[in-house]
Amino acid sequence: MAVLNRLDWYDIARDTNWTPTYVAESELFPEELSSAFGLPAEVFEEYDEPYKTTYPEYVKVQREKDAGAYSVKAALERSKMFENASPGWLSVLKLHFGAIARGEYSASSAEARMVRFGRAPGMRNMATFGMMDEIRHSQLQLFFPHQYVSKDRQFDWAFKAYDTNEWAMIAARHFFDDVMVTRGAVGVALTLTFAFESGFTNMQFLGLAADAAEAGDWTFSSLISSIQTDESRHAQIGAPLVQILVKNGKKAEAQKLVDISIWRAWKLFSILTGPVMDYYTPLEHRKQSFKEFMQEWIVVQFERSLLELGLDKPWFWDDFLHEIDEQHHGMHLGVWFWRPTVWWNPAAGVAPAEREWLEEKYPGWNATWGQCWDVITDNALDNKMEQTLPVTLPVVCNMCQLPINFTPGPAWKTRDFSLTYEARDYHFCSEGCRWCFEQEPTRYQDHLSLVDRFLAGQIQPPDLGGALKYMNLAPGEMGEDALKFAWLDEVRAERLKKAS
Amino acid sequence: MALFPLTSNFQEDFVLQLLAVDTENSMDELAAAAAVHSVGRRVKPRPGVLRVRRQGTDEAFPRNLKVGDAGLRPMECVEIYWEGSAGSVRAPRH
Repeated sequence: MAVLNRLDWYDIARDTNWTPTYVAESELFPEELSSAFGLPAEVFEEYDEPYKTTYPEYVKVQREKDAGAYSVKAALERSKMFENASPGWLSVLKLHFGAIARGEYSASSAEARMVRFGRAPGMRNMATFGMMDEIRHSQLQLFFPHQYVSKDRQFDWAFKAYDTNEWAMIAARHFFDDVMVTRGAVGVALTLTFAFESGFTNMQFLGLAADAAEAGDWTFSSLISSIQTDESRHAQIGAPLVQILVKNGKKAEAQKLVDISIWRAWKLFSILTGPVMDYYTPLEHRKQSFKEFMQEWIVVQFERSLLELGLDKPWFWDDFLHEIDEQHHGMHLGVWFWRPTVWWNPAAGVAPAEREWLEEKYPGWNATWGQCWDVITDNALDNKMEQTLPVTLPVVCNMCQLPINFTPGPAWKTRDFSLTYEARDYHFCSEGCRWCFEQEPTRYQDHLSLVDRFLAGQIQPPDLGGALKYMNLAPGEMGEDALKFAWLDEVRAERLKKAS
Repeated sequence: MALFPLTSNFQEDFVLQLLAVDTENSMDELAAAAAVHSVGRRVKPRPGVLRVRRQGTDEAFPRNLKVGDAGLRPMECVEIYWEGSAGSVRAPRH
């Protein structure tokens, strides 16, 4: 029997719009769950998904992808990757799995909202596959690290992190809850798929897969590549929607949601990806700096797609470009200094050759960040380890929930961007984070940052020990210097050479 | 006497930190408490007098002014800097 080509039947088969008679349209698609800016159903009929696939095709391809990822894992289980990997690379894995695996499940619920409440049939169809993608990503990224739990309990945080009040997890969860869990279908398409996925994660996963291959971790490389191919498909849900919104007079509304998500995604990137690329990855495996990666892969393609779809560059674009040069150095220094408060072992990445690389990639690094690391290095050389650790909490931002920091040294650029709203003082790291809050204060106003919770007496005893307990960090899980300060040998050798 | 939380922004450091002081503390005592979290940890020690000012102002609080009399709000950001040092005057943006 002759079978029609997919394109001959696709449109009519996936067009599941119907005219409700038992309930009103507004009950079928409540505004708070569809978040369609009050636009009528017919304007969404123009939605044309750029990637068309059918359920049988999807299942076939996904089965092959799963078979590929799992068979690479099985084949390499005796490869001694864990034993041979650099400590910095293992930290990359722990950080990635802890921050992302359970977040994928939240992404699945966000996709499910588009499946049910999306106004365009094509959007609902693509989101159905996206929803299943995200379940797959969660399962893969929980199963793969599980093989390492018996060797290193920090890997247990792949599952555990999401349920804790560990500060970096609060930050990740606050962002994910904002862009995935608490937006209507159109909102999710803009904040999650268009801004976060097509703008950031799709490209980041490509880079991460390459880094993994470079580090000799073929299992992780194949896993991330497998995930990225899903990501590149379902990330396309948002773009056709942007065009519809712009065409129907909702450009400002779309722009605002996209801007919020870009800014917030950037802040999370500055702590999750920046330190990994510029500090944790062994020098010999670095292909490009985080700044170069951001400029080449994120900035250029984002600018192009924003303008092509009829949106503008976000108002904070200059601040964003400026931060790409500086912000992640502070995030890295903060994570390393407060290392007992994270579930991975941050690699300092400041041995002499690494500092030379940093100065080359970020001219002025030695006169700014380098000054702080000079003090830390001298303390470590003098065995004053207590001075390389904190005795108070950093003040964290009431939007991104990350330490408020910026460039140190003579430039001394760090400052508090504060705001008083309904008699409560809020503290932000930047104009961008304060602006996000101001767009919808009631959405964010009741959240307490880790420092707010500390001051409210929720963390007992009220000291660093109490904070570690509050964050569920047990001995053996708290971070320490990834190389156990072995990098000091290179510092000593260089100083000896200079002295002779 | 009451515990009073502030935000410390110490000259040449990179991060804002929680600073617990007492309303009876002088500004000199506040500066010394802030220094514990920055100087010798990430900021090189140097000679000179440490002064305290509100973020966004150029004028330091009197050295013997009590924290409780300074009109500060809880968690307000104060800048601690070496008097007369280069770089102690802030640029308008970050």
